[in-house]
Amino acid sequence: MATVNEVIDTTIDDPGNRTPLVIGGHDYGSITRLVCGINESKTPIAWYIGMLMSLSLLGMLGALVGYLIFTGVGVWGNNNPVYWGFPIVNFVFWVGIGHAGTLISAILFIFRQNWRTSINRFAEAMTIFAVVCAGLFPAIHIGRVWVFYWLFPLPSLQLAMWPQFRSPLLWDVFAVSTYATVSLIFWYTGMIPDLATLRDRTNNKILRIVYSILSLGWTGSARAWSRYEKAYTLFAALAAPLVLSVHTIVSFDFAVSQLPGWHTTIFPPYFVAGAVFSGFGMVLTLMVPARQWFGLKDVVTLRHLENVCKILLATGSMVGYAYAMEFFIAWYGGNMYEQFAFINRAFGPYWWAYWIMVSCNVISPQLFWFKKCRTTPWLMFVISIFVNIGMWFERFVITVTSLARDFLPSSWGMFEPTPVDYGMLIGSFGLFFTLFLLFVRFGPIVAMAEVKSVMPHPHSPVHDDPHAAADHA
Amino acid sequence: MPENKKPKYWRSLGELEGTPEFEQFLRQEFPEAAEVAPTGMPRRRWMQLMGASLALATGAAGCRYPEEEVVGFRYPEEEIAPFSRRPEGRIPGKPEKFATTLTVAGKACPVVATSYDGRPIKIDGNQLHPMVAGADTYSQATLLHLYDPDRSQYPVIREGSSENKRSWDEFAVWWKEQSKKLEGGNSSKLAILHQTNTSPSVLTQMNEVAKKFPQAKWFQYESITGNTTLGTELAFGKKLRPLLNLEAADIIVDLSADLLGSHVTHGVNNQGFAKRRAPEDGPMSRLYVVESRFSVTGIAADHRLAVAASQMPSFIADLEQKLEAALESGETKEKPAEKIDIVITAMVNDLVSHKGKSLVVGGESLDAETQARIWRINNKLENFGKTVTFIEEPKLARDNVGTIEELAAAMNAGEVDTIIFLGGNPLYDAPADVDFIAAMDKTATQVYYGDYETETSKKSTWHLPASHGLEQWGDAIAYDGSYCVAQPLISPIFETKDPIEFLSLIAGSAISETLEAVKQTVATSFSSSVTEAAWTKVVHDGFIADSAPEAVSVTVNDSLDLGEVSVATWRAGLGTAYELIFHPGAGTYDGRYANNGWLQELPEPITKVTWDNVVTVSPKTAEEIGVKQAELMEVSANGKTVRLPVYIQPGQAHGTLAVGLGYGRTHAGAVGGNVDEDIAPVGVDVGPLRTKASMNLATGVTVKPTGKEFKLATTQDHFAIDLLGMREIGRRVEELVREGTVEEYEHHPDFAKHIVHLPPNGDLWEEQAWMKESYDGHAWGMSIDLTKCTGCNACTIACQSENNIPIVGKEAVSVGREMHWIRVDRYFSGDMEDPKAVSQPVTCQQCETAPCESVCPVAATVHSDEGLNDMVYNRCIGTRYCGNNCPYKVRRFNYLDWRASDHRFEAGNQELAKLIFNPEVTVRNRGVMEKCTYCVQRIQNTKIEAKADRRAIGPNEIQVACQEACASNAIEFGDLNNPESNVAKAHANPRSYSMLAELNTKPRTRYLARITNPHPWLASEVEDHHGHGHGESEHTHAEGDHADDDHAHEKEEEKH
Repeated sequence: MATVNEVIDTTIDDPGNRTPLVIGGHDYGSITRLVCGINESKTPIAWYIGMLMSLSLLGMLGALVGYLIFTGVGVWGNNNPVYWGFPIVNFVFWVGIGHAGTLISAILFIFRQNWRTSINRFAEAMTIFAVVCAGLFPAIHIGRVWVFYWLFPLPSLQLAMWPQFRSPLLWDVFAVSTYATVSLIFWYTGMIPDLATLRDRTNNKILRIVYSILSLGWTGSARAWSRYEKAYTLFAALAAPLVLSVHTIVSFDFAVSQLPGWHTTIFPPYFVAGAVFSGFGMVLTLMVPARQWFGLKDVVTLRHLENVCKILLATGSMVGYAYAMEFFIAWYGGNMYEQFAFINRAFGPYWWAYWIMVSCNVISPQLFWFKKCRTTPWLMFVISIFVNIGMWFERFVITVTSLARDFLPSSWGMFEPTPVDYGMLIGSFGLFFTLFLLFVRFGPIVAMAEVKSVMPHPHSPVHDDPHAAADHA
Repeated sequence: MPENKKPKYWRSLGELEGTPEFEQFLRQEFPEAAEVAPTGMPRRRWMQLMGASLALATGAAGCRYPEEEVVGFRYPEEEIAPFSRRPEGRIPGKPEKFATTLTVAGKACPVVATSYDGRPIKIDGNQLHPMVAGADTYSQATLLHLYDPDRSQYPVIREGSSENKRSWDEFAVWWKEQSKKLEGGNSSKLAILHQTNTSPSVLTQMNEVAKKFPQAKWFQYESITGNTTLGTELAFGKKLRPLLNLEAADIIVDLSADLLGSHVTHGVNNQGFAKRRAPEDGPMSRLYVVESRFSVTGIAADHRLAVAASQMPSFIADLEQKLEAALESGETKEKPAEKIDIVITAMVNDLVSHKGKSLVVGGESLDAETQARIWRINNKLENFGKTVTFIEEPKLARDNVGTIEELAAAMNAGEVDTIIFLGGNPLYDAPADVDFIAAMDKTATQVYYGDYETETSKKSTWHLPASHGLEQWGDAIAYDGSYCVAQPLISPIFETKDPIEFLSLIAGSAISETLEAVKQTVATSFSSSVTEAAWTKVVHDGFIADSAPEAVSVTVNDSLDLGEVSVATWRAGLGTAYELIFHPGAGTYDGRYANNGWLQELPEPITKVTWDNVVTVSPKTAEEIGVKQAELMEVSANGKTVRLPVYIQPGQAHGTLAVGLGYGRTHAGAVGGNVDEDIAPVGVDVGPLRTKASMNLATGVTVKPTGKEFKLATTQDHFAIDLLGMREIGRRVEELVREGTVEEYEHHPDFAKHIVHLPPNGDLWEEQAWMKESYDGHAWGMSIDLTKCTGCNACTIACQSENNIPIVGKEAVSVGREMHWIRVDRYFSGDMEDPKAVSQPVTCQQCETAPCESVCPVAATVHSDEGLNDMVYNRCIGTRYCGNNCPYKVRRFNYLDWRASDHRFEAGNQELAKLIFNPEVTVRNRGVMEKCTYCVQRIQNTKIEAKADRRAIGPNEIQVACQEACASNAIEFGDLNNPESNVAKAHANPRSYSMLAELNTKPRTRYLARITNPHPWLASEVEDHHGHGHGESEHTHAEGDHADDDHAHEKEEEKH
């Protein structure tokens, strides 16, 4: 297969012919064997090592959360002007990452972008796990964690009243929980046929029971497929607007306040673009090594990666535009507090954070104008890391620098993160990777059923023949 | 105090008997108290606290006075039973106010203490007393000591290295033996060292002691003293106390006196000064300040000059010479060229043209000659009897009282066998060249009587605990010479004795009850027989109304020769020499308040530094030395060196360094430092630099930068501000703190409203009840007059005491987690070397359209119909979004549990200390946001009272805590819908403006623009500095309709 890969360059566009989405001369059976093989083979040592590291970080996170709950949110560096620090930065960062999966599976599905099939499962899993990480932070960041449920509109006599519906934080609760729920169901629905495949193939009794339960008695009958397709389309339609709404509403947390630097109307589209940007950044970060390690190069071809790079280039430029526009409006709007907020961002005490953000988010994706960068996996990987860093700093810049210097200079302050702040940020990656490693070990990481649907039909062997494809090119 | 709340007195002592409510309270409030020790608390400490609580339980419930013996079991066990008949006038749960007198920093302070079911919970000034206005920070914070578990709780004997608890009985037995040794001729072996005495009854007891030990030597020592009496003695031949009348003065020249800050009568000074600083109430007075370090008086000054401390005499001599010339040949008509000359010439002209209506005051630490010179100046200006009167210095010490040097000499000579310390702490604060530690070793027995363990008590054989001022009967002579009485608010919590009891024990005299001793003093001093009714009134008022002595007429000694003082040296400056001023520490005074968390955490008014003393230097001097802000610097004087953090203070005289006293205590307690328990001292002890000759000012100081950075905890400018930020601050200050000259005010009284351009604002939400014009209920509002505010911090402490605000410690302050609900912002403007400073108290503005309310997801902060932005602490889950959205940043978040954590300030927050809490105010949990609610508890109480009485609430009936404490009445509070109220009038004042009104927050707190009264020669300069020359801006443009009339006039002209 490796030799075949070298022959076919899927990144070349041939106007006369569609580039194959799966290469390597696969048929349905080999795809099943390829994907299920990842789950069925002996657990590699590397997985154990990875799991150990992730679990350690997760354990640290757990310990820190316990420490936090028993001691108080004072264990962080938050202070009087900077009431929100790392937890909110981390929250927005993870929510942003959680955008790519549903965008790929829902929006690209609706737009009939068939190339999504190779990466959607993977990206959706990433979404779910990112949302789990994101959900952790708002819950623990409040001062009295033990009453976090007061945020929900529970018809409880004890509370005697509803939450305050004018608060963007409440909208946030709804937006994120809705998004998490729909994404989870959508992901699970899409996984049912593949879970059934795993069920049918596994020799392990326990796993078979688990897969049996999870696959809801899937038989593969035409009726099941028909229902499945309908449900999937419905969920896609339901999830698509949520992709846009969730980060819009997250941005309201900032935009609805009157803090200079937060109170800007550009935030909703800017946040959504940023979220897609960071989500695809993370997809790339995970996909490049995964396709290598799991031998998925036939399914996740270079062209897939190139497409992701193109999205990064587009959204990165949008983000760059938003940065520029913020400055322009601050000047054009004539609000002196606003003007100072932005000048202070770029040249004040947090200038370094601002310029890290600009270099990572605006400058580094511009490298994707070069085809060399779009088609060299290790380069993509490096740039995707920059994107992740940049997007974390974007949230840091927005949250912290605006709060540190607002209206009354007497109350200006600085935010100094504590080891707990850093520990929780790193620990959240532990949570993310733990879930992710579990998934790659036990779940179908490629949507086999969907990939098969975009493969050439089994009885038209012409496309199966790599040489023929090359001839066409 | 408000008229309806007449201070109540104790009709009978029986009222103090054990209150079951209190017992029950103890059990309910601390149900877990006996079960678990909080984590992180050493077991020993916990046992102490427990002991304290139990002592309190029996002490407070037990009767203090009947069957009392001098020696004997003081607190007989009593059965606790509910009142079968409630004592008349006593309503459980209703706070009562009692007048009493505290001795604070060596001065008698008539105060009113609020008692809640037998617990004093607040101290205010006794406004009936003519020498009281507002309440200063020290007297208010004294309350914290009452419940401080570090306060000495029982007699202790130290033998060798062992330290044992004893009872007063055992001490009495011991003393009986000891006094036998000291009787008769041997009594010369006894020495007694006391601090400034304010009490006639204590003096009587001292005389009793002297009768018993006729040859005993008496000494007095106070680490911080002035030369006022020496000055009057020189000038008038008599020891006199000057009484200033700032209200009568048109021109005030403050020569490092800090009239509105640390001056002995700062309260009434503020009051009198403020009365002349409202431009709408008549002509304003003008204040010139010449000082070395920036003081709060410097903030209030119209013109301020920085002159090195050692050159003040030269400056004053120069001033006198110029005045004499002007008095002979008339005012100088020509305006000099240099600013410094303009100021002096203007000062001289003003003084000459306001004879009899001016006042020149010198600092207490100036030498006697210079003070005499200042009195001579006032004499020439014919001010005596008009702006300054004198009374004879009351005699409150025995004759021939020696100094500490003499005491040390006597001790070193082996003449002292037994020494009794009545308070004080000479081991810590004696001059460095008086080696008191060595002298102590030469004495056999030391008896230390005081309220805390100190450096001195730790080296004494006996430590005998003194009662808190609120636990005792007593008396004192106030500054104006009037006779004040102290009454106990609570039985002694610990096994303590008051000074009169203690001295009578030492004397073995007959008087056993302090009350009787005080009554006797009243009887002998004022009237031969004190009727019950008369006595009742005295206790009720806290003082005898007409007991102040008559003013004496004074004439300046004709033969007054003050020697030659060069009038030129002050202009030359110090050159490269440095000198160091020692001033009372803002939070510690001379160290006696070192264990007071409220005071330690109170930002120094100018530097805003908490929990440390710093050496302040001018920017130019800092550059010369090569030190940076917060760098540690070695300061050497008199052969000793200490390391101090540097604070670069704009406006300080070049070459003059200044440092606060009272820090670096090694045996102060859990808050102030206790090396025995590994609690690091707070700040640095600069005692080693002070010698007999340089108690106030050390010259020939050398300095050396160390390059080491020190973490300072400041409440403003928490972190160094970069140039970008500095520029922005400069731009914003004039909008936030609006300021104009009296001339500008006369041309455009409403100039302040036009400094910021206000676009038409609409409301997103429907109009709420409290915004409607038809709304005629109460509309609470506040006004803060920036002309009157000096930034003295009294409001901050009052608020802390009233609203149960925790202290958080240095580490938390340094990361910006201080909890004060009302803070005083201080901004500098103008030249770095000759700046102007302004102060602006900021607390919750109670916005009508409050940004905090709409963002709270759980509706924990909501609006009341009366316009309060209320906090529902129970509902708050701590998202902190409200804090983010508050443009005034007045919300404070409980990041940690400040009450139960194992921080070093635990002592200030622990079990016993809980008794200090005002039960009317929720004690906030960790994780909860809190802020000012205009003392809503006081509003509600008054409303309930008024409703019960079926009457309307008086226009100025409700006083909020900060307002009550403010000596200059800068803060007004009341109902905006009542046109009679002061606050409604203040809001209608053309000077009023809303801070950040452009955000459409519609704050209920308005500021009255600061008006200065510069000399016409200097007016232009002032205007240039604050450059909003709105004088010529006539273009008004009306803008959109506005629902609220109150705000309608806030939005016309454009700033230019």
